Amino acid sequence: MSPEIRALAESLEGAGYVTDAPVATALFLATALAKPLLIEGEAGVGKTETAKALARVLSTELIRLQCYEGLDAATALYEWNYPRQLLHARIFEGRGEDPAATEAAIFGREYLLERPLLRAITREDRSPVLLVDEIDRADDGFEAFLLELLSDFQVTIPELGTIRARHLPFVVLTSNRTREIGDALRRRCLYLYLEHPDLEKEVRIIRRQVPEASAELASEIGAFMQAARRRRLSKLPGVAETIDWARALVRLGVAHLDLDTAQATLGAILKDPRDLKELARGELAAMLPGEALQ
Amino acid sequence: MRPDLSLRVARLGRFLRREGLPVALSDEIDAGRALALLPGSDREELRLVLRSALRIRREDWERFDALLEAFLSERARRRRRVARPAGRGAALGRGRADTAPEGAGGADRPASGAPAYSPVALLVKGAPRDCSERELGEMERVLSRLARRLARRRSRRLVPTRGPGRPDPRRSLRHALASGGELVAFARRTRARDEPRLVFLCDTSGSMDAHARFLLAFAVALRRVARATEVFAFNTSLVRITPSLGRAPLAATLERVREAVPGWSGGTRIGASLSEFVAGHLQGRVGARTVVVILSDGLDRGDPRALASAMSAIRERAGKVVWLNPLLSDPRYQPTARGMAAALPYVHDFLPAHDLASLERLLPRLAA
Repeated sequence: MSPEIRALAESLEGAGYVTDAPVATALFLATALAKPLLIEGEAGVGKTETAKALARVLSTELIRLQCYEGLDAATALYEWNYPRQLLHARIFEGRGEDPAATEAAIFGREYLLERPLLRAITREDRSPVLLVDEIDRADDGFEAFLLELLSDFQVTIPELGTIRARHLPFVVLTSNRTREIGDALRRRCLYLYLEHPDLEKEVRIIRRQVPEASAELASEIGAFMQAARRRRLSKLPGVAETIDWARALVRLGVAHLDLDTAQATLGAILKDPRDLKELARGELAAMLPGEALQ
Repeated sequence: MRPDLSLRVARLGRFLRREGLPVALSDEIDAGRALALLPGSDREELRLVLRSALRIRREDWERFDALLEAFLSERARRRRRVARPAGRGAALGRGRADTAPEGAGGADRPASGAPAYSPVALLVKGAPRDCSERELGEMERVLSRLARRLARRRSRRLVPTRGPGRPDPRRSLRHALASGGELVAFARRTRARDEPRLVFLCDTSGSMDAHARFLLAFAVALRRVARATEVFAFNTSLVRITPSLGRAPLAATLERVREAVPGWSGGTRIGASLSEFVAGHLQGRVGARTVVVILSDGLDRGDPRALASAMSAIRERAGKVVWLNPLLSDPRYQPTARGMAAALPYVHDFLPAHDLASLERLLPRLAA
């Protein structure tokens, strides 16, 4: 591992984020080349968390834009504060001011509501991390709009003029691949595909996120999760589920994963009736190391 | 960037492209910049850096790793050897103008003569359906009802409207400025109509004769409600028939189409025809929201490799690829014909299309 990447990996670990070579390499390249990073992977593998960790390491602000179908410029970029504009227009009118002066006043910067994309380019002190979450949920029109912003980092507001970024944000885009991202956007970004963690990484994540869990419990949970992901489930549980489950078990005061507690708490990791059936009692026993011996 | 580094990256890029991985120039530039930052990379890190900078998709990782390994070991092997006469075995690094192996076999073969006719087509129960004038009229009514249902899907995106909808404060206030800040009327927004974007590629060769008219009728009816629909016909070559589809009755339109397509009921070269589509129309007419519908029995006389590479290009660009095969209605049918087997890995939906009921079931799938 190159020293620069190792250094980044260490500071990520220091910021409470368990990492490995592929993630550290991609994050290093994204910051060093000042390119957006597109992170793809199944739900719950920690795509969003990666962006949060990057913000912590750079000790900068994280600005998040959650995408959904129908997302438009008013929600993503900026919106005028209409109630305030109306109120002030009334006041100015009452004072008998010149309409042109009124218009100039109510289209000033203080009447502008900055939405995430605009906020990301107007930070005064340092580059923030801009997280464009689940870009695959937005429609392709929005994708084209985003492409424009990512190439110029400037926004033109008809009433105000052009606003240029003082500090270019670090951009992280995530996608669950419910829809293929357009070629143009993909080409503009560096690429990272996150997979479910292996046993060693998953145990480290549990230990880091749920320090109350004993080393034994953590490795039992980790081994179970690895086995569960090899089953034919309709929804594979992700790291988020692992952590939930570990917290649940700790809260119940469980020291060891046994058949009864596993079955009682399975709802923390499996959220589909067919999956729960797939891992019925008999199947569960085979996945718990202690139980198989008894 | 060191010149030898960029040269090596360019060689790798060319090698990967030749092996079918989509690597663009901008990817190579990023890879070069990335590697220049990390001079001490070992092989494992090189792999990670290149995966990220060349945007290798998850499904291509195994292939990419193997190709990279091949590229690196070939380089090592060549470096050990003294310079050798050019021309021989220079598969990896230099030279060797890209020959076009695909098409060569198919193009030399005479295209005329007996149509690609298969006994399989005879197996299909009640298949040869000749559309009479009256049947066509009946079908037109049913199809346009089906097609309209498809065109009704609404997006969640909001667009200005004069009709009912949600209030749009931004535009309302803009308009209010014209009346001295007085809100006279509310501007409204409503959900946009999501027009389906369809591209039909219809096989009109001899083996498809019984179905071609029926399926073309479907495409034509869809075009009447979804104006962005494009229709192509192919047998041994490709013809864009969208311009011939006017408002005339279905029967007359079909007659006109038949005249516009040379070699109707002739042989098929699906691979060559689809390659023609990829070269001439893919960029302009297919985008991430387009659904490409191919209507064919997949009985191909050409090179299956050409078909596979054309299908892969279409799949990469289109929102969805649907293959309608009339033979599929027969439970005994297996898609083992060379052409069909080559195309199948690139198809999202592989469906029968022999009667109106099967077309009706198809409609929900045409929304990308």
